[in-house]
Amino acid sequence: MESFRFCFLMLTIAILASPALSDLVLSKVDRRIYLTSHIVRISSTVKVENAGPEKESKVLLAFPEQQAKNMAYLMATPHEGKGKVKNPVVALPVEAANPKDMPAALTFYSVSLPKGLAEGDSFTFDVLAVFTHALRPIPEQITQADIQLVLYQDSAHYLSPYAVKVQSLSVKLPDSRIESYTKLENTKIHGSEIKYGPYENLPSFSYSPIAVHFESNLPFSVAQELVREIEISHWGNVQVTEHYKLIHGGAQSKGEFSRLDFLARPNVRGASAFRYLVANLPPRAHSVYYRDEIGNISTSHLRGDSKKTELLIEPRYPMFGGWRTAFTIGYGLPLQDFLYESDGKRFLNITFSSPMVELVIDALIVKVVLPEGSSDISVAAPFPVEQWQETKISHLDIDGRPVVVLKKTNVVPEHNQFFQVYYHFSQLSMLREPLMLISGFLFFFVACIVYMHADISISKSSASYLAKQQWEEVQAVIQQVQNIISRCLTTHDNLEASLHDLSRTGNIQACKAARKAADGLLKELSKELKPLLTFLQSSPSAAQVFPKVEELVAKERELQEKVMVKHSTVVDGYEKKLGARDIENRVALQQQKLTALRQEVDDLLELIDEI
Amino acid sequence: MAPPAKAITSPVPDAWYPTLAVFMLAIGLVLTASFFIYEATSSKRNRSLAKELTTGGVASVFLGFGSLFLLLSAGVYV
Repeated sequence: MESFRFCFLMLTIAILASPALSDLVLSKVDRRIYLTSHIVRISSTVKVENAGPEKESKVLLAFPEQQAKNMAYLMATPHEGKGKVKNPVVALPVEAANPKDMPAALTFYSVSLPKGLAEGDSFTFDVLAVFTHALRPIPEQITQADIQLVLYQDSAHYLSPYAVKVQSLSVKLPDSRIESYTKLENTKIHGSEIKYGPYENLPSFSYSPIAVHFESNLPFSVAQELVREIEISHWGNVQVTEHYKLIHGGAQSKGEFSRLDFLARPNVRGASAFRYLVANLPPRAHSVYYRDEIGNISTSHLRGDSKKTELLIEPRYPMFGGWRTAFTIGYGLPLQDFLYESDGKRFLNITFSSPMVELVIDALIVKVVLPEGSSDISVAAPFPVEQWQETKISHLDIDGRPVVVLKKTNVVPEHNQFFQVYYHFSQLSMLREPLMLISGFLFFFVACIVYMHADISISKSSASYLAKQQWEEVQAVIQQVQNIISRCLTTHDNLEASLHDLSRTGNIQACKAARKAADGLLKELSKELKPLLTFLQSSPSAAQVFPKVEELVAKERELQEKVMVKHSTVVDGYEKKLGARDIENRVALQQQKLTALRQEVDDLLELIDEI
Repeated sequence: MAPPAKAITSPVPDAWYPTLAVFMLAIGLVLTASFFIYEATSSKRNRSLAKELTTGGVASVFLGFGSLFLLLSAGVYV
């Protein structure tokens, strides 16, 4: 009924607006309506001719209001004949237009031609219009066993503000099972294709409603909301996380659902349901996951080649009409495939929309999370989008990462084009995260140092506290004593080494010099030792350990003397040019004593350490 | 995209992350151990603050980078 009224309105308009808008004439229009998916695509090849004297450079396209509100995408390209090598097509600019004296029930778009048309010139171009939610399920509610029937309405005549000389229309359906279709003159049906026309010499705004009612069990997958989060890490990863809120947009399911029937004969008892979704992820995608609020969903398959990574996911249950599901998929992409630098600016070059095949997205929100420290952010998108900025606090952040949010409604796979986010980023900002970790650890070490150095006892005058203080002092002094003794022992070793050198080179002078140096050093050390010993003697807490220390010092002194004696004996021997055997005999006894003494000193050192 | 755009890669190849994490954490932990051994064995009076701070500082540099590479190799891209 509605369409009839609309038709009547159109006819009235046609009569009123009969003086033509311009002298353009469409000499040939071929329209193909693809109903093979739940996304309706109308591809038209239009040949436009200028019949008037004035030069024309714009062509108007008209869409009825009910179609225009479902339109997701419109693109015009110059027509290329069949068989030609496909050059990268440059789209013709299309913009919304509001011409005067035109019926309000129509929405107009104007296509700018590459060059103006002079009188008699013609130009052929293709128009692709994509519509969502254009198929109406009738009946609106079906049971599990029913097949899904949908209705599509359009006009058999090309609705245009210009007169059309020759036109034809073909409607491609997914299946040859057609419930009903409008029969007009010149209507033919070939399997799953219905042909209307050719019609000749129709005036402007001619309209002839048609309706096709046919079976379509294709997945009516509609994402009511999709939030894509693209997070860049300059440490080598672009992480994409996609949160889907999916609904089956076809005929509502009524009655009960039998899992048994569904499993036994899925093609009959559940023809309208869809069981899986396919996502074509970029090549080299890694760390792919698929989960929802409960956790991981195990029914997914992933396979990849050098061109793409194919992810097949099954929802937790088969999706019948009106059923909803929400899930998240995520994957990591290598940085070098998507992030580039030019003119000192970095930019992300990535596809805008979802990788899912044949998915309609009612509201798409793309969030690009840039690394902390990015500035001068700008976005270049191939189509108009709503955009604003946010910040997000993530791992190891101080003031949050800048986020560019892009929002677009009514998105179809045709919108899956590359867009760019430009920003400035200094390489030094990459050091923020490691510096944070380093300062964290450093803080821990500093806290340990402070704890070890701080005096945190409450009563500073108690006996035990004082005793502890004294004992610590004694400990410190003993450590110093130990240090000095060990330095003495190294000096002894040096002397021995000089003797060894002497036996090798026979250089007596060097040996004497070494002895002189050692002598001086040892004297100095014993000077240093004196005040420490007096302190230990006077301190009451050192009463226990003092005798040992004294013994140690005495033994060391003895050792020192012995070493000196041995040294002078050997040097004397060399001066008198005695044989090596002789010298060895002379010092053999001394050597034994030395070894014994050294052993005792070492034992004492260990003993004191234990106290 | 008219001017030649240069692809940006990470400063350290991804494949090195696990190795770097293991080695830097090992060195860092050894230094931490030596720091605590020093804290526990030297007496309060003749402990040198400079030595403590250098050991702690170097250990925290190694532990910091080590834990960063550990996070990266585990897939937490910071």
